[in-house]
Amino acid sequence: MFKFIKLATKNVFRNRRRTVITGLVLVFGATALILAGGFISSSFRGLSENTIRSQLGHIQIYHRDFFEREEEKPLSLGLENVDELKAKVLSQEHVKFTMARVEFMGLLSNGEKSAVFIGRGIEPGKETELSGNQSPVDSGKFLGQNANSEGDAEVVIARGLAKTLKAKPGEYLTLMTTTSTGALNAMDVKVVGIYSTGVPEYDERALMVDLRTAQQLLVTHKVSKLVVVLDETARTKEVATAMAARIPEVSLRRWDELATFYKAVVQLYSAIFAFLGVIIFVIVVLSSSNTMLMAIMERTREIGTQLAVGTSRIRLLVNFLYEGLMIGVFGGLLGLLVGAGLAELIDHAGLRMPPPPGGTSGYPLYVDLVPSVFIGVFILIVTTTVVSTIAPAFKASRMKIVDALGHV
Amino acid sequence: MGVRDSREGHIVNSLIQTQELQKQYTLGKVTVPALRHINLNMDRGEFVSICGPSGSGKTTLLNMLGFIDSPTSGKVYFNGAEVKYNGLSHLHRLRLEKLGFIFQNFNLIPVLTAYENVEYPLLLTKKSSGERKQRVEKILREVKLWDWRKHKPNELSGGQRQRVAIARALVNSPELVLADEPTANIDSATAGEILDLMRTLNEEEKVTFLFSTHDPTVVAYAKRIVRLHDGAIVNGQN
Repeated sequence: MFKFIKLATKNVFRNRRRTVITGLVLVFGATALILAGGFISSSFRGLSENTIRSQLGHIQIYHRDFFEREEEKPLSLGLENVDELKAKVLSQEHVKFTMARVEFMGLLSNGEKSAVFIGRGIEPGKETELSGNQSPVDSGKFLGQNANSEGDAEVVIARGLAKTLKAKPGEYLTLMTTTSTGALNAMDVKVVGIYSTGVPEYDERALMVDLRTAQQLLVTHKVSKLVVVLDETARTKEVATAMAARIPEVSLRRWDELATFYKAVVQLYSAIFAFLGVIIFVIVVLSSSNTMLMAIMERTREIGTQLAVGTSRIRLLVNFLYEGLMIGVFGGLLGLLVGAGLAELIDHAGLRMPPPPGGTSGYPLYVDLVPSVFIGVFILIVTTTVVSTIAPAFKASRMKIVDALGHV
Repeated sequence: MGVRDSREGHIVNSLIQTQELQKQYTLGKVTVPALRHINLNMDRGEFVSICGPSGSGKTTLLNMLGFIDSPTSGKVYFNGAEVKYNGLSHLHRLRLEKLGFIFQNFNLIPVLTAYENVEYPLLLTKKSSGERKQRVEKILREVKLWDWRKHKPNELSGGQRQRVAIARALVNSPELVLADEPTANIDSATAGEILDLMRTLNEEEKVTFLFSTHDPTVVAYAKRIVRLHDGAIVNGQN
């Protein structure tokens, strides 16, 4: 077999110019797929970490029936005995920390004008830790960072909401909402900061207060959920499974089950990648088939000779498939090298992408070097060249020997 | 193998025998006879020349006897067994193991060295690497090309190329070597050397040769001459 592969390799380089052109097509295809795959992987990674760090954490814990039925009143399906639950969660391996959140809605007023808000009661220190100690606040300060001698309840409001109510840090607004018993309640809060959620639509409605402030406003000791943060994103599934077995009285959701936007992006990008793969498959098939057809036409007499001296038709077919294989191997390997080189170049070029749909800020352009993409691209290129050789090789193997020998 | 049915009464020493062999080509509505009623017997160890003018059917007859083209009618017996031509593809083993081909244009594989060209038919067999090496060396020494073994065909003269082709034809120890105008593309001095080599191999190694030519000086080397004209044997039949 080795001797025939050696012969195939020699034949591949017989017409160098044509082989180089075919090789360039393969290199182009492999590079395009590696860059696209690396960019998509980088985007998935960035988006998943961003989703985890900015809002979801790795796992969220809810009341057992939270996903089964609607709440009749605010927090009627909230979590009780939060400290006890937190202790159980923290005893789980790979859990870095956990924090409570209260989700609520209502009206925010500046005395002259009111706007609907979607509020969140949080533990500010832990939220900051989740986001990698990056304050989301554009102006003013974040919750819990103020010398609040007056004991005022504090609020940070999103950019769009602040604009609607013409609110600035240091000013007072009134929060109005329904309590956990169904009564109306209101509370004056001091705006300490203005932040951006990264999504323009949320910026029109979002605000955050301290967890205790939210609980006071809703007159409850319950929380809506616990957010669990792990030491490694890759362990999410494993920890969630263990936690579900250990704390059966609650309902768990992993971040990837909650991140609808992330899932939509993954689906879209995967479809784009598959489409790109199909286009490159077609280009490679056409290019390689053409190369092999040309090679067969040029070597018609040689094919006749090989058949005349006793080469079986199957052997001849396999020999041509080896040639396709070798073109694929050389082109694929070179493509991987060029793809990796370009990916490194892009990573160090400091390029930035424009904001994604629905986003407000751009992000750095990175191309990951993903081993599975490299393996997949190499297999695709090699398989494609071999597949595209089948028809020409079959044609060669079916030649009439006397006609082939008489070919001029 | 495509060989079956031992024929009654065949000559014991017969290597290949044809019986009423005919080949016709159809060109549009016209049928052109290329071979007509060929009855030919060749014994082992013979050194036979088929001669005749261009278009007399020499190459067509060699193609039939080399199992690379099928006759329109008639029979061919090889080692006393009838050869079945249907499809031809099953005959590759017969060509590989029993026959050797020498072509007018040498037909060497240009990307392979002289050594590799000679070794090629052996790669199609199950012979070990050691045995292959031994055979190729022996035959290349016989055709006096051992020192040229690493050269590719385009680095060899016409005579050297034809000697490589002879070595390739002989490397599998065939029972019959078919040569189609083996000296047509080389000068007369080299042609003499090639024919001397073939004759030596015939006399010393007992290799059976059947070669076609239209050159009277080449015909002179043959021990038996079969003359073809318009697709029929005019003399030297058996």
